[in-house]
Amino acid sequence: MLDLALKAEPRLGGFQNNVGGTELAEVTDLAIVSIAVPLDGEAAFDAALSKAYGTERPAPGQSALSPDGQTRFLWTAPDQLFALFEDTSPKAADDVRERLGGKAYVTLQSDNWVALRLAGGMARVALERICPIDLHPSAFGEGHVARTAMEHMGAFVLREGIHSFLLLSASSSAESFLHAVETSLKNVA
Amino acid sequence: MIELFDGLCARSQNHRGSLDVDLMAINDYLSPFLSAGFYYKTFMWPKAFWEKVYEPLIRKSAGLGHASMEPDPDPYDKGFLHADLLVIGTGPSGRAAALAGGRAGLRVILADEDFRAGGRLIAETHDVDERPGASWASAAVAELDALPNVRVMSRTTVYGVFDHGIYGALERRTDHLVDSVGKPRQVLWRIYARRAVLAAGAIERPIAFPNNDRPGVMLAGAVRAYVNRFAVAPGRRVVVFTNNDDGWRTALDLGARSVDVAAVIDTRNIDQPFEVEGARVLMGGRVVDTSGRKGLDSVRLSDGRSIDADCLAVSGGWSPNVHLTCHHRGRPVWRDDIAAFVPGGDLPQGLRVVGAANGSLTLAAALCEGSRAGKEIAADLGRKASAGSAPEAADEASSITAFWHVREGRGRAWLDLQNDVTVKDVKLAFQEGFSAVEHLKRYTTLGMATDQGKTANVAALAIMAELTGKSIAETGTTIFRPPYTPVPIGALAGRARGKEFRPYRLTPSHRWAEEQGAVFVETGMWLRAQWFPKPGETHWRESVDREVALTRGSVGVCDVTTLGKIDIQGRDAAEFLNKVYANGFAKLAVGKVRYGLMLREDGMAMDDGTTARLGEHHYVMTTTTANAGSVFRHLEFCRQCLWPDLDVHLISTTDGWAQFAVAGPNSRKLLQKLVDPEHDISNEAFPFMACAEFSVLGGTPARLFRISFSGELAYEIAVPARYGDAMMRALMAAGEEFEVTPYGTEALGVMRIEKGHAAGNELNGTSTAQDLGLGRMVSKAKDCIGNVLSERPALNREDGFRLMGFKPVDPSQIVAAGAHLFARGKTASMENDEGWLTSAAFSPELKSSIALGFIKRGQERLGEVVVANDPVRGRRIDVEIVSPHFVDPEGERLRA
Repeated sequence: MLDLALKAEPRLGGFQNNVGGTELAEVTDLAIVSIAVPLDGEAAFDAALSKAYGTERPAPGQSALSPDGQTRFLWTAPDQLFALFEDTSPKAADDVRERLGGKAYVTLQSDNWVALRLAGGMARVALERICPIDLHPSAFGEGHVARTAMEHMGAFVLREGIHSFLLLSASSSAESFLHAVETSLKNVA
Repeated sequence: MIELFDGLCARSQNHRGSLDVDLMAINDYLSPFLSAGFYYKTFMWPKAFWEKVYEPLIRKSAGLGHASMEPDPDPYDKGFLHADLLVIGTGPSGRAAALAGGRAGLRVILADEDFRAGGRLIAETHDVDERPGASWASAAVAELDALPNVRVMSRTTVYGVFDHGIYGALERRTDHLVDSVGKPRQVLWRIYARRAVLAAGAIERPIAFPNNDRPGVMLAGAVRAYVNRFAVAPGRRVVVFTNNDDGWRTALDLGARSVDVAAVIDTRNIDQPFEVEGARVLMGGRVVDTSGRKGLDSVRLSDGRSIDADCLAVSGGWSPNVHLTCHHRGRPVWRDDIAAFVPGGDLPQGLRVVGAANGSLTLAAALCEGSRAGKEIAADLGRKASAGSAPEAADEASSITAFWHVREGRGRAWLDLQNDVTVKDVKLAFQEGFSAVEHLKRYTTLGMATDQGKTANVAALAIMAELTGKSIAETGTTIFRPPYTPVPIGALAGRARGKEFRPYRLTPSHRWAEEQGAVFVETGMWLRAQWFPKPGETHWRESVDREVALTRGSVGVCDVTTLGKIDIQGRDAAEFLNKVYANGFAKLAVGKVRYGLMLREDGMAMDDGTTARLGEHHYVMTTTTANAGSVFRHLEFCRQCLWPDLDVHLISTTDGWAQFAVAGPNSRKLLQKLVDPEHDISNEAFPFMACAEFSVLGGTPARLFRISFSGELAYEIAVPARYGDAMMRALMAAGEEFEVTPYGTEALGVMRIEKGHAAGNELNGTSTAQDLGLGRMVSKAKDCIGNVLSERPALNREDGFRLMGFKPVDPSQIVAAGAHLFARGKTASMENDEGWLTSAAFSPELKSSIALGFIKRGQERLGEVVVANDPVRGRRIDVEIVSPHFVDPEGERLRA
């Protein structure tokens, strides 16, 4: 065996930029694990979720934060959710699988996505330029999540705070996605 | 409309020589010949002259601007807005609607194409709520600006109504600035509105009379805007020509500002409605001519007198801006009392029209209508409207008697000043049979281009109505389509220019490949390394031949991350796969990979790839790069719609894993240096078509598949994408002792053709499993998608196509994909066509050009020589039909 331990490389090299007080940054410590609920296993899953994380399955368009504030569950499809938590290990999915006691099918998704956090006073007007979703707080409050497309790229938008959004898009087109978001921010600055 | 600003450069056009001695003024004397249809009738011959001589000459004379012929230097942007209520226009009615809606808590967008809000209020002297209208408008702006739920957008034109409450709007952001500091020039907004109020006002129209195109002749409302809004006197001595009460207000406003009003000419035979100090008044009169070389000097009246004047204010009445109400094919209806078309009943859903746009041309009516609309919409959307009443104002006098054109006098009476259409042209159109409004428009160019009939349409069709003896209502109007005003192509394109035309996808080893000087190729949105040139190599074939030779001779590495990867889990995953693949998957053991062929419902081949069973209920499917998305969609359809009772769950992991093909006789030795020592990958422990979840280089999770696209002993190894760059570098470092080579898509293609594997060229949607030589894979022992229809007789003909290999008889000759195949001695015609070549390459192994292709009854024709006819490249080559497996047909290498 060679002495060549593999070094993980964030997709955008840990990009960070502050434009007029609004911060755009790649989130590099985020684990994303997809969770599929087995057919006819909904009740068992809900019980396992509640026991392991102390939370309920989020409704469509919503997310749920575990009471310890460590794990956020995003509704992504009728029988699917994403768990988001801080973890840089490539084995993050194993932890979720174990905690749910085999009541769900889990898949590591961390590397499928690039995550950008857009936070600051101009975040919403910047997103107006590319995001078709209505992000007004009265329509899209804290914890709301939506799957949409921006500049032809599929994306998730999660509202983390009144002026803070987490954006997920395919990691292979991360450069294009960053360009789209950064251009929007610069255009409204 | 171009907004004037300090630093704007403008140039006069449409004249030869200086404007003082314009040589083109000669056209005035030729005008009897330059009537509608003139070009169609005159420049017919010789035909070839049209494009090169006549058209450029005409265009040069036509008063069109000059294109720079440079790419548009400005950036543009797009955006999305959402509102409960979109109010179009900030005049009295729009303002009242926005105030009512905004006060009730609706999310309101108020858009106006002007840079200053207020509409006609800022150009008139009316009072609202006992204060001057302009001041009321400013206070209303301040109130709206202070409401957090209201967004006021100036310089924003709502140009179209689309489906489901979607409105298009163009916001001009930097057109009025000398320097845009790199910001987008314009933003094209898509506005999603639950309700909309059209308060677009009305446009005044001229009266046609001889020589009404002389500078100094302008619309009466424009004169008032100059005087009241901008404090500019458009002339020293003004004559007003009107058919309605509104025109008189121009005279009154001018008088109030001490501008000399020489005369008021009213076409109506009624009592003089207003007193204007110092002005001569002619009731029942007309202007029959104007004179002046570069501008107006005097006007001649129907009673024979001439009056010196440098400004003639004309009012022919107001046409409501109904355009947006027609965008879903609504037809305006005629109202005699105001001599104008108003919106018909068939409006786009959710749209209401108020104020002058609705034919309510007076102030109190407009305010009241706007306010009521805002309140009713608020109530309709579940909000409690505020109790306040509509802003108070008086209704001004507004009576009108239709009058379209002056009959007496000589000289051209212009209807459409932008498109040079005169009253005479309309008469000619009628005379020549083009009397329907849509024909009139196309024959005369009336109402075309940027004006879109805003000023000219009504008068022209009224004249046509006179000629045909029909009413205006019967004559009707042309339909208005989006856009209301021109939208630059640049704004429609937005950011989609150059490299930003569409997103691009990069493999995890992209940066490393760039460092190697790789040449990239676009495959879909992916950029893939095509080959890796070495110093001294002058031709791509040199690089590709070397990559193939080194791979087959020792070991090569190719980034195959672009292949679609679908994670499949569930109790019924095996059954699911057994249904979507044509061949059997029910008995695939854990730790094994199988090649699978997917058919469409109609029995044609859809995609192929491998699926690995990683666990009892866990599989990973690979698809071709091109079909990654469509196969995923197909599987979701099958899962959700066809077999919802199966417990199967899918998620794409294409981007999640960096995957590398490691191929060649030394591939195992190379991988043994990287795979952690507890994993045995010897041939016995990890034979052909084995798979496993391993770890590499001290614990990094990895997946290893023993599969081969090249025909060599080969593996594909996957690591989480974040390690892709490091993994590529590790493979190269570990492979140094074996002279490892990276190879690109070209070498990949050469090796798969040598091995006879089908790819996109063969799986093109028109081939069957039978055609591909995979007919026996379609299991008859189970039900699967495409199984039944693959048995259609036409797909199973004895003389059907078969994928075969082809080799030129003369090895120095080159075969190319696309060539069609004919029996020797037969002419190259449709009826003799026997097939075609799909993929071709130079095989370094065979030292010959080779090809794959479909030919009828191919399997029975091994050794036969046929002709590959390639008229596109002018080649006709004798080729021998051979097995498609040029290299290692027994598969000994990949099992070694």
